[in-house]
Amino acid sequence: MTAVAVREPGTPAVFGRAAAAEWLRLRTVRTTWWCLLAAAVTIVGIGVIMAYDADDVYATGELPPATAAGEFGVMLGQFALLVLVLLAVTQEYASGAITPTLQWTPRRGLLLAARLTVPVLAATAAGVLLALTADITAWLIADLPFSPGDVADSLGRVAAVLLAGGALAVGVGLLLRSTAGALATVFLLQLVLPFLLPAFGVQWMADLGELLPGTGAIWMLLGEPDMTAGQATALLVGWAALAVGLGGASLLRRDAG
Amino acid sequence: MIEVRGLTKRYGAVTAVDDLTFDVAPGKVTGFLGPNGAGKSTTMRMILGLDRPTSGSALVGGRPFPRLAEPLRAAGALLDAGAVHPGRSGRDHLRVAARTHGIPLRRVDEVIDQVGLGPAARRRVKGYSLGMRQRLGIATALIGDPAVLLFDEPMNGLDLDGVRWIRRLVRGLADEGRTVLLSSHLMSEMEQTADHLVIIGRGRLIADASFQEVMRGQGSGRKVRVRTPSTDQLAGALLRRGAVVHPSGDGELLVEGVTAEVVGDVALEEAVAVHRLAEEHSSLEQIYLDLTGDSVQYRVAGAPELVAQR
Repeated sequence: MTAVAVREPGTPAVFGRAAAAEWLRLRTVRTTWWCLLAAAVTIVGIGVIMAYDADDVYATGELPPATAAGEFGVMLGQFALLVLVLLAVTQEYASGAITPTLQWTPRRGLLLAARLTVPVLAATAAGVLLALTADITAWLIADLPFSPGDVADSLGRVAAVLLAGGALAVGVGLLLRSTAGALATVFLLQLVLPFLLPAFGVQWMADLGELLPGTGAIWMLLGEPDMTAGQATALLVGWAALAVGLGGASLLRRDAG
Repeated sequence: MIEVRGLTKRYGAVTAVDDLTFDVAPGKVTGFLGPNGAGKSTTMRMILGLDRPTSGSALVGGRPFPRLAEPLRAAGALLDAGAVHPGRSGRDHLRVAARTHGIPLRRVDEVIDQVGLGPAARRRVKGYSLGMRQRLGIATALIGDPAVLLFDEPMNGLDLDGVRWIRRLVRGLADEGRTVLLSSHLMSEMEQTADHLVIIGRGRLIADASFQEVMRGQGSGRKVRVRTPSTDQLAGALLRRGAVVHPSGDGELLVEGVTAEVVGDVALEEAVAVHRLAEEHSSLEQIYLDLTGDSVQYRVAGAPELVAQR
């Protein structure tokens, strides 16, 4: 066993391999497929129900655009996709599989980049496709107004919500390492608190709610509450960056698990 | 080649690994011995960059493991056989490992055959027995054809066949010129396996020597067991010769500090009948217990006396 001088691959090649491995990791567990199925049922299902409801309101003359189907669908169905991303991170801490993972990719910065890129992009791509399917379903079944421009704009906002939510999930997962804890945190920040806090009718609670990432996501998808596109974007990007910063630091500095 | 230099790991007030320095040489099986909690796993995890040392360093093949672009080609390790995603098949687990290094799929099936995982490789890991998990872990360690191998307690929980298989495997790997570090808390596992021993207790280095040296080093305290109907007379004579004599019941004496020849001669001078005369070689387990006796972290109350009596 003499060490043969083999030229080591450069950083881009190592990242490419880490990302390819990450993709294989996603595909080879059933959880991923269950989450996708749940997302498909929720996003397209809600879309179809929307379509039938719109059919009812047809007589009143009010007709939502077909893109509302995908947007409502993603508002709820995003959670199946965020669970997919989150489990890609936390399941490794639960099973101890982070130990072999870090033996194979010990450059933790590269692992962070791959883990941030692949599951988040996969979930986003799936979400966008499903939203598009919901839009088309709504258009075909309920004959809702459908324009390519609307659809492109709507899918862009769907993508923004899923990219930011996915990054938030990766960051929180790396920081907390526990599936239950990370899941609860992401749910609270992304869905429960943004809806719940304003409902108390107390001003500071409502103000607090407007600072949460879920409020930005709700604005992107439903156009509520009253804020600018810049504010909503700042919420999404800011929270995602904060979570990835804290979670990334945890991956880089703490013992493997 | 593994080089460990002043490796230290503290968790708050607890020092798990305390200024360890040793080398693991290629072409040999090096047994890494110590009682449970001695710091063996932590040391291995630090060598692989999984845990961050409080101070000190470890090199694998001359370089810090966490900086390697292709770490699996430098060192393969089985640390915790259970640390695998339960929902993934063994073969998929290996495919992921292979993909991180651009290793062809053919090599995946090669190591599956090599460890005898067979058709089970396509089943999900959650249904694996401990032995199958160990085999999967070893296949993962071998996949990059590395020059250095670390196995943490690979024989734990295996049946006799499994233990034999691991012995043959590590012997073969060392004979191919690889560096093999094999940890265990049982000296007996090392008897037919290790060429060299690194023994630690409470995180500190106790011994770093060849298997024979460890045996010999402890041989100076060799004892002689003699059975005689006249224990008092013989004991008295031996004491006058400067020996240390422990009566061990049923007409036997355990004599330290003199050879069996001297005991025989003294018996002849005293005209005492001798029914049995034997040199007692310390057993492996005894040597190990003597070496690590003070360093055992978790011990049942009363057990130290038991050690002393034996």
